[in-house]
Amino acid sequence: METSQMQKPLLGGKLSDESFITVFMVGVLIVVFGIACIFVPNFYKPQNMLNLITNNWYIIVLGIGITFVMITGNYDMSVGGNIALTGVLSVYFCQGVNVSQNPLANGLGLPYILAIGLALLCAMGVGAVNAFFIAKLKVPSIIVTLGTMMLARGAAQVITQGAQRNTSLPDAFGVLGSLGIPGTSIRLPVLVMIALIILAFIFEKKTVFARRIYLIGANPVAARLSGVNVGGYLTALYIVSGLLAGITGILLASEFEAGVSNRAMGYEFDALVIVLLGGISITGGFGSVLGMFVGAIILSVVTSAATGMLFSPDWQFTLKAIVTFIAILTQRFALDKRKG
Amino acid sequence: MQPTENVLEIRDLVKDFPGVRAVDNVSFDIKRNTVHCLVGENGAGKSTLIKILTGVYDRTSGRILLNGEEYNPRNPRDAKQQGMSTLFQELNVVDQLTVEENLTLGMEDTTFGFTRKTDKINRMVGVLNSIEPSIKPRQLVSSLSVAQKQIVEISRAVAAESDIIIMDEPTAAISESEIARLFNIIKGLREKNVTVIYISHRLDEIFELGDYVTVLRDGKHIETKPVAEIQDRSELIKMMIGKTVFEQYTPREIDCPDTILEVKHLSNHRLNDISFDVSAGEIVGFYGLVGAGKTELARAIYGADNYEGEIVFKGQKLRPSPEKAIAAGIALVPEERRSQGLFTILTIRGNVPVMNMAKISRKGFINDATERKVTSEYVDKLKIATNSVEKEASKLSGGNQQKVVLSKCLFADADLLMLDEPTRGIDVGAKSEIYNLIRQLSREGKTIIIFSSELPEVMNICDSIYLMYDGNLKSTMRNGCDVNSESILHIVTGGE
Repeated sequence: METSQMQKPLLGGKLSDESFITVFMVGVLIVVFGIACIFVPNFYKPQNMLNLITNNWYIIVLGIGITFVMITGNYDMSVGGNIALTGVLSVYFCQGVNVSQNPLANGLGLPYILAIGLALLCAMGVGAVNAFFIAKLKVPSIIVTLGTMMLARGAAQVITQGAQRNTSLPDAFGVLGSLGIPGTSIRLPVLVMIALIILAFIFEKKTVFARRIYLIGANPVAARLSGVNVGGYLTALYIVSGLLAGITGILLASEFEAGVSNRAMGYEFDALVIVLLGGISITGGFGSVLGMFVGAIILSVVTSAATGMLFSPDWQFTLKAIVTFIAILTQRFALDKRKG
Repeated sequence: MQPTENVLEIRDLVKDFPGVRAVDNVSFDIKRNTVHCLVGENGAGKSTLIKILTGVYDRTSGRILLNGEEYNPRNPRDAKQQGMSTLFQELNVVDQLTVEENLTLGMEDTTFGFTRKTDKINRMVGVLNSIEPSIKPRQLVSSLSVAQKQIVEISRAVAAESDIIIMDEPTAAISESEIARLFNIIKGLREKNVTVIYISHRLDEIFELGDYVTVLRDGKHIETKPVAEIQDRSELIKMMIGKTVFEQYTPREIDCPDTILEVKHLSNHRLNDISFDVSAGEIVGFYGLVGAGKTELARAIYGADNYEGEIVFKGQKLRPSPEKAIAAGIALVPEERRSQGLFTILTIRGNVPVMNMAKISRKGFINDATERKVTSEYVDKLKIATNSVEKEASKLSGGNQQKVVLSKCLFADADLLMLDEPTRGIDVGAKSEIYNLIRQLSREGKTIIIFSSELPEVMNICDSIYLMYDGNLKSTMRNGCDVNSESILHIVTGGE
């Protein structure tokens, strides 16, 4: 068979499909960014470019967990509610005991370190509940996590009586959210996000654990017959996704020095959007953390450009929708084209 | 429609895939109202040719004439409407619907979008009834066995009264008695103005059924001639692969005294108090018809299904989980390679090492170079036809996919290798490669258990033959001159 007769895959066929999608989405990002630079004054400035990443640290942190969960072919919609619950709990645990007539000012009076430790355990507990229903009872993950999404937010609302807790906090409470590199917009949460992204990237490319996650998504039956403890891996992933939501919740609570019951509404959907923009397959077995990261920046460029172009905030959702559709369609088109 | 002598004429047909010319300038005719067999090794181009005929693939170039007229199906539905029905190898029934609903699927008579009960349904049910009365129209398809599902599909194709019915390995998964029934139906089709294109790796079937045979090799047309003019199997095999394959059981010289596996009173929903021992280094064959419980036994030993009773491997009681079984030194090549054995969307490199990740990693971190190296080794060792270890497993032919699954299990370094229907749907060439591999593994001291519904397979390579019927272990025997296929068939069909 002569080589000349072969149809040459896009980009020479050297890249794996996964890298191809990531490179392709970087291309989309450059185009979107270019358009934003033309229409929005000062959009190209380094400070603005930095903000595009730093302002979205929480979605990216959540995206890491969601990426791996989705590579197994599952969803985690509980992260938004989990953020609210963990934030509220981190406040409640360390608020003073019987300091006020107002019940929302009274807490358990635990040391701050213990408070966040317990709050994180609760966040992982939400993940464990997800895992129990999904891995053990085989309930579809979308149903289970929609349930725990509401359960977590419901618990947060009970604890805050539908509002928030922000009084009688120890001094240490606001430190985590406000620490940062002086003179820049880079704060501790952003550094946490960067560290997690690097860890997740190495984890994904190098570890046996990650490889088994892909096996589960590619074919759960074959994975089990190949000796992969499917339930165990799903459990670990949901607990990690819960932990990431918990970390986010604690950092956000610290930044605002408040535990707010309706914090992070809709974050689960933003996280889902960036994961899809990143080319992660909803049927599992395919995708990467790097793709998700690029997806997050695309979404960030779109939302901040919209604000810069003086669109009314009412247009935010519509614009997000349009960009999501365009990006995902071009992605599918490019992948089909490449596969011939 | 004027009755031309040839129902189908294929001229200079070409189909290119990226990097592969799957069908290379193929031309031949198919005579009306005949059974025309299509043979060739895996990757010879049979499946691609069929997919072009049924409108799944577009051709790259060439012409096809159906009843003397240009035939360019836009999609499978279009092909069907033009008179080309197909019975694909992979089952094409909807589990959640009833038998009746499956029969009329896509052809329902409707009023305002609601399905109507019509004569069509009765006719379809009548056809099914004439083939297999035990299947009830109101039964859910999910409650049927693999063989029964296939029969529903066959009925559907028969009832559609097409000019041509393409049958891709229809007998691969059905039992001997059902095969005889199917053959009668196929022979009857000739009188009903239906032409059958019949694809099978079981060459005996071609001699029993076929009027004409077309041999393909490496995408090229080798020969089309009347079956009557072919002397014997080996002539056909020579055309297919260009070399003669010899399959003969040679009794092993050394006895294997050490027991490696003890199964004691194993029972579950499909198995009934099964006990046996296997000696280290032995090749054991479990033979029985479809539904005899072979797959269930393999899955139970492997820990994939629950059971009562005890399984002792190398002196240790096994706990029921595939993970534990692999750790103890057992590997299973499952019955359905695509849905149970292979990660089709991953590359060959992504498939081969998965059962023994410890061997390519240190402290949980994968060594890419080692991974690539061992994958290449298995590609060479098992002669997997690919230009790269980075090729997606879904793009390989059936035989090569099975070799990937085998590589995966061999890489697990198991002492006991269980193979469930290891050569189903695989051509003679690859079959004999796999048999040689099994013999070689046995010489290296591995213990092999084969679960098969092909008697020649079991008689050719197994030292011991265990016969199963309806979830029971009926008989065990040493392979050798006193074993005869008639008495075996008597037992596995329920005789005492």
